[in-house]
Amino acid sequence: MKSSEVRLDRLVKEYNRTVAVDDVSLTIEPGHMVALLGPSGCGKTTCLRMIAGLIRPTSGDVFVNDKKMTGVPVHRRNVGMLFQNYALFPHLTVEENIAFGLEMRGISKADAARKVGEALNLVQLSSFGKRYPAQLSGGQQQRIALGRALVIEPAMLLLDEPLGALDKGLRESMQVELRALQRRLGLTTVMVTHDQDEALTMADKIVVMRDGKLEQVGSATEIYQRPTSKFVAQFIGASNLFEGPIEQRNGSGALIRVSPELSLQVDQIPQSASEVMVSIRPEAIVVERVGQSPAAQRVNSVTARVDQAIYRGFVSHYYLKTPSGGQIIVFEQNQSQQAGLRYAVGEEVVARWESPSNHVIARH
Amino acid sequence: MDERFSGFGAFILYTITGCMMLFILAPLLLVMAVSVSDSYFVTFPPQGFTLKWYAKVLQDRDFLEAMRLSILLALGTTAGSLLFGVPAAFALVRGEFFGLAAIKGFLLSPLIFPALVTGLALLQILTKLGSQDARLNLLIGHVVVTSPYVIRTVVTSLQLVDENLEDAARTLGANRLTTFWRVTLPQIASGVAAGGLFAFMVSFDNYPVTMWLANSEYSPVPLVLMRQLVNVFDPSVPAMSTIIILMAMVGVLLLEKLVGLRRALAA
Repeated sequence: MKSSEVRLDRLVKEYNRTVAVDDVSLTIEPGHMVALLGPSGCGKTTCLRMIAGLIRPTSGDVFVNDKKMTGVPVHRRNVGMLFQNYALFPHLTVEENIAFGLEMRGISKADAARKVGEALNLVQLSSFGKRYPAQLSGGQQQRIALGRALVIEPAMLLLDEPLGALDKGLRESMQVELRALQRRLGLTTVMVTHDQDEALTMADKIVVMRDGKLEQVGSATEIYQRPTSKFVAQFIGASNLFEGPIEQRNGSGALIRVSPELSLQVDQIPQSASEVMVSIRPEAIVVERVGQSPAAQRVNSVTARVDQAIYRGFVSHYYLKTPSGGQIIVFEQNQSQQAGLRYAVGEEVVARWESPSNHVIARH
Repeated sequence: MDERFSGFGAFILYTITGCMMLFILAPLLLVMAVSVSDSYFVTFPPQGFTLKWYAKVLQDRDFLEAMRLSILLALGTTAGSLLFGVPAAFALVRGEFFGLAAIKGFLLSPLIFPALVTGLALLQILTKLGSQDARLNLLIGHVVVTSPYVIRTVVTSLQLVDENLEDAARTLGANRLTTFWRVTLPQIASGVAAGGLFAFMVSFDNYPVTMWLANSEYSPVPLVLMRQLVNVFDPSVPAMSTIIILMAMVGVLLLEKLVGLRRALAA
């Protein structure tokens, strides 16, 4: 299957007076999987449906391999699409569902039958051809839908929350499977999801959207480690966010004063900044019992009281309260022989972390 | 119903249901009963048993002629109201355009307007337009009266169809017409059939509109029945009615077998 490059050029979609998608430009490299990630109503589904041709943009264009798709009707665009509720035709058997797209392309019965068989093989449901969709589980239905989308050898694959209706365990294994298949076929893929784990697991590139606009575009690592906004820092994973004035510059970095008992040393800071916001990931923070560690130094460390402690299997979550009332979230990986939580609610602890963990977010 | 009724609740439920059934069916049963009465006037309880009124009715040229006209008219009406109603329903459910709610209200309005008024209005318009053919006028009138039934049942079943099915078909290469034909229509078949049955039945026994649009040459069954009723009220009138009742029953049962009418009406 040849890979296509998909390019969105200043896409806008307005409904009456509300702007669903606001000036979105994006290039999706051939063979890549891109996830449009954001809360509901952020415009990610509208974007996807404009790529499919199911929604006409108010302005802007979609290009596939530099060919303008605006004005090309859906049924001529050759896109494979998966829907959250699978959208299998209930009155047709599995085989007939998969053959539908082939029939629309005027492919001969014999060729179609062969291709349907191959598609069923590909999604590992060879023996299910004669069944009706209602006789299949959700996971099986989505596999059939995938087979139906792939059998037409689409220019790209569009996934609209494809695994949203499945149980957690099945969803996770399908994520890995779908990703492996997509890589193997080298098929350019755009996925819409509100599930950050899904985006992190599957996508080469994550596009975080908010209020119809692109908030941040980058690889999983970039988005997670270097969020450019408070929104991204909070939407992808958990973050401890602090803000405060610059207390003292030192070289290219500075000391940020968050509260009387806590300052943060950041290594890089824009020259123009006077107030900054800093995000610290919960897993970057180390907790130690008071007395077992050097006393809190005020810089990148603080004495706090355990407010809540939650045991979650391979990780424990601690919610700490600082004397001035600030909250710090800490994720600590549990050791295999560890007996439950290491710190009890009410215990005095010292939280500390390294300067590189202080990630400065541009103030808006 | 998931829970089974039992005890006193069941007793109440069955009593009320029974009373309703009786209330609806009793007049029909009465008509059937008197149609076999061996008397020259309609009397109840029927006296004796005879099928001579059926023999008489089935040889009555006026009645047979009216039956033929009514059946053809009802078939034409069914076709016409489906041709008009299904696309209209599709536009109402899937469309997004200015004044949608107003148009919806308007298209369903003959269910609210008195049929007598609709009939009179139609007569005036058709006369103004110079339409002289009673059969054509009846067809137009009946399509106007029955389309709302089709629109209503089709709208109901269309609302239950997942729009993603249509989107999926289109991404797979089907244009809008093929999508409708191959994907949407099979989902709404029971609704379309129910609407068609309604159209047929409503056309077949429509009196108030028919009365304005028919003439002496082309009189559908309801008019012939009424005329007969006024002239000689002998058991041939109940016999005609019974034939119509049986026809309706056969129609309903047939459709139930074919497309599961119960499901469509329940929706």
